[in-house]
Amino acid sequence: MSGTGFSLPIQVVEGGGLTAWLAEDHSVPVVSITWSWPGGAALDPRGQEGAARLAANLMTEGAGELDATAFADALQDEAIGLDFSADRDSFQGGFRALVPALPQAVRLARLAMTAPRFEPDAVARERARALAMVRRSLEGPQGRGARAFWAAGFPDHPAGRPTGGTEESLAALTVEQLRAALARHLRRAPGLLISASGAITADELAALLPALFGALPEGKVEDPPPLPEFRHFGTQVVPVASPQSAILFGQPGIPVNDPAWETAQLVLRILAGGGFTARLTHSIREERGLTYGIGAGLEVIFGQSVLAGSCATANARVGETLTVLRAEWKRMAESGPTAAEIEEAVAFLTGNQPLQFTDSRRTAAILLAMRRNGRPLDWLARRPERLAAITREQAAKVAARLLAPAGLSVTVAGQPEGL
Amino acid sequence: MCALSRRAAISAAAALPALAVLPAAQAAPPSPAAPPAGAEKPLFGASLWTLPNGLTVVHAENRRAPVVAHYVFYSVGAGEDPQGKSGLAHFLEHMMFKGSEHVPSGAFSRRVAREGGQDNAFTSRDVTAYFQNVEASRLPLVAGMEADRMATARFPAEEIEAERQVVLEERRQRVESTPRGRFREAWDAHFWGRQHWRGRPLIGWPDEVAALSRDDMLEFHHRYYTPANATLVVTGAVSREAVAKLAEEDYGGIQGRPAPYPKAHRGRAPAPPAPLQERLVQREPTVQEAAFLRGWIAPSLPPDTEASRLAHPLEVLSHLLGGGQGSRLDRALVQSGLAVSAHCAYDTDALGTGCVELSVTPRRDATTDRLEQAVTAEIQRLLDDGVTDAEVERSVRQITAGTLLALDSLGAAPRILGSGLAVGLPLEGIEYWPARIRAVTRAQVEEAARTVLARQSMVGWLLPEGAA
Repeated sequence: MSGTGFSLPIQVVEGGGLTAWLAEDHSVPVVSITWSWPGGAALDPRGQEGAARLAANLMTEGAGELDATAFADALQDEAIGLDFSADRDSFQGGFRALVPALPQAVRLARLAMTAPRFEPDAVARERARALAMVRRSLEGPQGRGARAFWAAGFPDHPAGRPTGGTEESLAALTVEQLRAALARHLRRAPGLLISASGAITADELAALLPALFGALPEGKVEDPPPLPEFRHFGTQVVPVASPQSAILFGQPGIPVNDPAWETAQLVLRILAGGGFTARLTHSIREERGLTYGIGAGLEVIFGQSVLAGSCATANARVGETLTVLRAEWKRMAESGPTAAEIEEAVAFLTGNQPLQFTDSRRTAAILLAMRRNGRPLDWLARRPERLAAITREQAAKVAARLLAPAGLSVTVAGQPEGL
Repeated sequence: MCALSRRAAISAAAALPALAVLPAAQAAPPSPAAPPAGAEKPLFGASLWTLPNGLTVVHAENRRAPVVAHYVFYSVGAGEDPQGKSGLAHFLEHMMFKGSEHVPSGAFSRRVAREGGQDNAFTSRDVTAYFQNVEASRLPLVAGMEADRMATARFPAEEIEAERQVVLEERRQRVESTPRGRFREAWDAHFWGRQHWRGRPLIGWPDEVAALSRDDMLEFHHRYYTPANATLVVTGAVSREAVAKLAEEDYGGIQGRPAPYPKAHRGRAPAPPAPLQERLVQREPTVQEAAFLRGWIAPSLPPDTEASRLAHPLEVLSHLLGGGQGSRLDRALVQSGLAVSAHCAYDTDALGTGCVELSVTPRRDATTDRLEQAVTAEIQRLLDDGVTDAEVERSVRQITAGTLLALDSLGAAPRILGSGLAVGLPLEGIEYWPARIRAVTRAQVEEAARTVLARQSMVGWLLPEGAA
């Protein structure tokens, strides 16, 4: 890869009947471990939206002999960052700890998974916090738009519901329902994926796996309902009193195991990626000053994906912004990227690889994402050669297949003009 | 949260990034910071030296990955925006990507990306910083381009209008489109004064941003973007010798103008003796969730004055009072069922003046009176009875426990070093900050509390329309 000689050796570690991927690195005395189960908010029963996320938050609000404050002190006294969370399609846990605090981090993580207390006052506090977050997210165009966008794209699937729940569902959740949300996920199941990064050897990690997960019951996590294709809903306006409209746009993506996945990523880097170089940033921000930031990418949900993006612009300029956006979408679909654009983007994606691995949490998260996406161990090592092999013709073909200018669905939250 | 990125987190929170989501001999031999008596190892092991043109150079090696972070911090921020020209420092930062003598407009970021790197910039009240993260062998490329725009940024007239619209969209997105953003801006303006450097929005008042000109930028750049007012920070997989050579070759030749001021003494207007108002109540129809603020003017670390001795004790006080679960406010407001959340914020390194600020999200069934009374009672208890040794020990422990986590990222070291040095903090104060926190005593915390919290404060409410 451009002569950087960078590589990230990944070890496969087995312990207690579980397998973890490890990127070992002793340069800083810190260890990050992260793990996930499939499911997440998608397994919340109808009417119990937000159960998985609220239950995840409650896991660190007192466990075992420790009440909520004692648990928080135990974490903060040793600067242990322990978190559980639920998103659209998974339930995750993880921690980062300095090496001397590792035994305590393992003990607290295990306690949180096996003996969360769910005390009434803690449940009341976390419920109030979740309600406040949901209500606050609906104060501005961004939150209102996002809720409407996903609801319209997946009208009949849990993926279209707000992951954090609604005011109604959160108010009605019982402790039994919250405990059930944990029980649905916290298992030594085939779907439990684990990765680690930092100052820990393979043997140490192998010994730690049973300590962390050994007490969890065996069993399989239930399958969510099959994900339908993201529905085309045209243009949707959500009235919000605001001088600026939030614009969310999207269309169906491709599965993560599609052979064209990386070519699609390359095309999207050129069309809508981060940094100042993408076409959308150039024509919408740099040339016309229509927005502070615009980007789009493939959002993975249960191995499928949605090509989703967003930007924000003054109400009076929504029409112009969408016109330029659609024109760029169409231009890329019809002509694909230029050879020079491909060369630049491949150089970036290849040369950027070492910069992805400077933070133990991020490294562990990348390994976990590789596992969730079913990538082989040498996925990163061989990525530069795969990228280098992509031709302009292939990229144009994938752009034509992926991008559907007429199939772009748009949610505008605000008081837009010119639609 | 842990204290690891204490200083980094502060600058990130208070700063506006440019993109959303996006030869001379050394005057003195490079030297590491002198340790305070009886102290431990320095956090970063950084070296610092000065070029003859006045540029401060800082290097800290870290061989974890074959990458480097290259930052230039200018000791100028929104706090130096001229009267009536709020937003100039920030707008200019955006325009620094529009070309210099040897780098055409837009080419800077394109070249960095072509080499696999990432670049961006940010403006806070006290500093403006430009940075690139690149694979180590690309360091000369970015240093050359950064030096070029330090010396010869062009601010092309034909690109100013589109960028002005970008800045105004950024303002709408951050401030104008949510009631919370509007309230925050109004709070600062009412607290410090709408035209006081501390009370103006970093991004600027919209009518003033609309009037900023190319001449304003040229003048500002000429005055403040000079080596003597800049700090170059390079960290990562690079030796001190390589950085010294690079600094000399790329930056050493820039003709220096005198620094406009010492980095910590910028001639800013003094803080008012007390907040200009006692109360701000803002009601908006879109507010779903009330918010409560209470703030006091407080001394901070830079510039070093008699009152700066209170800064570290205030940092401990802030944690003890509202540093998350188990803090006094958490017990009195959150655990008691009055509030959803309660925090205390204090920025030790804010230049010139700081503030201690409580922010509370009340539960819906708690009346404003009841919540205010509970806050007042907690403050009074603190003033009357002081704090305990156990509380101070707990806060010191939790603030410093994660110090080493600052090494677990590429950006923390250069941000902590650069943002501190650019406001005139000494290197040893940054390298050994945990020791300074550990030296804080109960008596000092009580002195800080009585000095600051007994003063006049300001109370603010953001409420749904029609609420009591």
